Amino acid sequence: MTDLAVYLEGVSKEYPHFTLADINVALPTGSIMGFIGANGAGKSTTIRILMGLVRQDRGTVQVLGKSMPEQQADAKRDIGFASEDMRLYKRATVQWHLEFMRSIDPKWDQSYAELLVKRFDLRPQQKIKGLSHGQRVKAALLLQLARRPRLLVLDEPTTGLDPVARQEVLGELMEILADDQRTIFFSSQNTLDVEQISDRITFIDRGRVIDTGDKESFLDRWRRVRLEVPPGVVLPALPGVVGTAGSGRLAIVTMSRFEPAITAAYHDAGATVNAVDNMTLEEIFVANVMSRREGKVA
Amino acid sequence: MNTFMIKRLVLKDWYFQRWPIAAALAGGALSLACIAAGTNGSFYAGTVLLITVMITAGVSLAVTTVVGERTEHTLPFVMSLPISPIDYTAAKLVANVSIFLLPWTALTLGTLTLLAMGAGGMIPLATLTLVEMFASYCVILMVAIVTESMGWTISVMAALNLFLQAFLYYVTRMPGVARTMRGEVAVWDRGTVTLLIVEIAVSFASLGLAFVLQSRKRDFL
Repeated sequence: MTDLAVYLEGVSKEYPHFTLADINVALPTGSIMGFIGANGAGKSTTIRILMGLVRQDRGTVQVLGKSMPEQQADAKRDIGFASEDMRLYKRATVQWHLEFMRSIDPKWDQSYAELLVKRFDLRPQQKIKGLSHGQRVKAALLLQLARRPRLLVLDEPTTGLDPVARQEVLGELMEILADDQRTIFFSSQNTLDVEQISDRITFIDRGRVIDTGDKESFLDRWRRVRLEVPPGVVLPALPGVVGTAGSGRLAIVTMSRFEPAITAAYHDAGATVNAVDNMTLEEIFVANVMSRREGKVA
Repeated sequence: MNTFMIKRLVLKDWYFQRWPIAAALAGGALSLACIAAGTNGSFYAGTVLLITVMITAGVSLAVTTVVGERTEHTLPFVMSLPISPIDYTAAKLVANVSIFLLPWTALTLGTLTLLAMGAGGMIPLATLTLVEMFASYCVILMVAIVTESMGWTISVMAALNLFLQAFLYYVTRMPGVARTMRGEVAVWDRGTVTLLIVEIAVSFASLGLAFVLQSRKRDFL
């Protein structure tokens, strides 16, 4: 377990109207995990548990080898954390925040901080209350990045950013990973962001992890198969079919475990395979969530 | 506990409260000047201003430094730092009490010095009232830290303001105070000393309770 930056096993948390149930996540050092879920799926709760700010009712949480929440102060020396609802002190300037962080963190990288100030187009003497939303998000992220944390935990870091600001932030995250000892765990509703920079994906829905794995395997095994089905032909029940749509002679089958032999199976049954389409991460996420909600196992 | 980080967080709150502290000291100085002016009208006005300054300073401090961290969403930023919830609570208690004690101590010493110069019999009444205000501040701080709620904090403040009126009514009728308050010498009897001890005990108990209740919280954010 020593090469795991994040390890959650059987983590549960109950609230009156929401339950996070049996969360298992293992993130190796040097990886980027995209944690994808709809609003209210449990992303922020999981991240707060991971940061030690909410105590789990059951289960084990280890971050950088430290037990959470008990050892959170130690663990957070090496964790950079930014969340969508995080704000800086509006009456203070960007410079004050830079100096504050510099005064508390011996690992603070001043030259990197200055570089990010320029790259993010921030003015040090400007008060936080005068910044746009995008600038505030970038300022908050800068304060965490310049600490050179071993683990970066980001809760919806790109929400509300314009496309340019989003690319700036994502570009910076990708640069961090040039150092293979650094790890990023970030949640998002934006599957495009996750698809761009993650190498591992976890889907969460209604308080449960519904799928997890490396990104390439997700993209490889999910396919949409377009079929022509003559009258009287019944499509075989194949493993991994999570949905079938279409009308008349045309059918579209969504599959979570596609392999080439499947086209042969449909052909043998009398159907014609017109196309096998790749799916985007967003399509995979939606198909995965819908199939789970309908009780089909993806 | 992470004393280095607690110290940094205390300094942060001092930095953000530098203007309110200055305002409280200025208002306090004005109230003392009124009290020192010597007429009945100015004495009454100065006393009312002194009480107003103390109450405003205490409530403003608890609301901005404690409740404000949550309502302004700066709490996630603070909690991203290498601290535990207990470190945070300790920092808030130390910062708030030390900031409040600056104007409170200055105004208490100023008031008692002025009274000692000609109205020494008022010293027990003034001391009991000023310490009651410190105890009230500690209760408000405890409520603010534990509930992080503007509504609860303001409600408790309002209740304690009403309590202050009842307190003044009761204290000015205490035999030990009523008998000697118009004299030139301060007289402390068993009743006034006991009340003073109770006030100090309430102050410490409130701060201790804040710490205990915070340490039992399971969810901090």
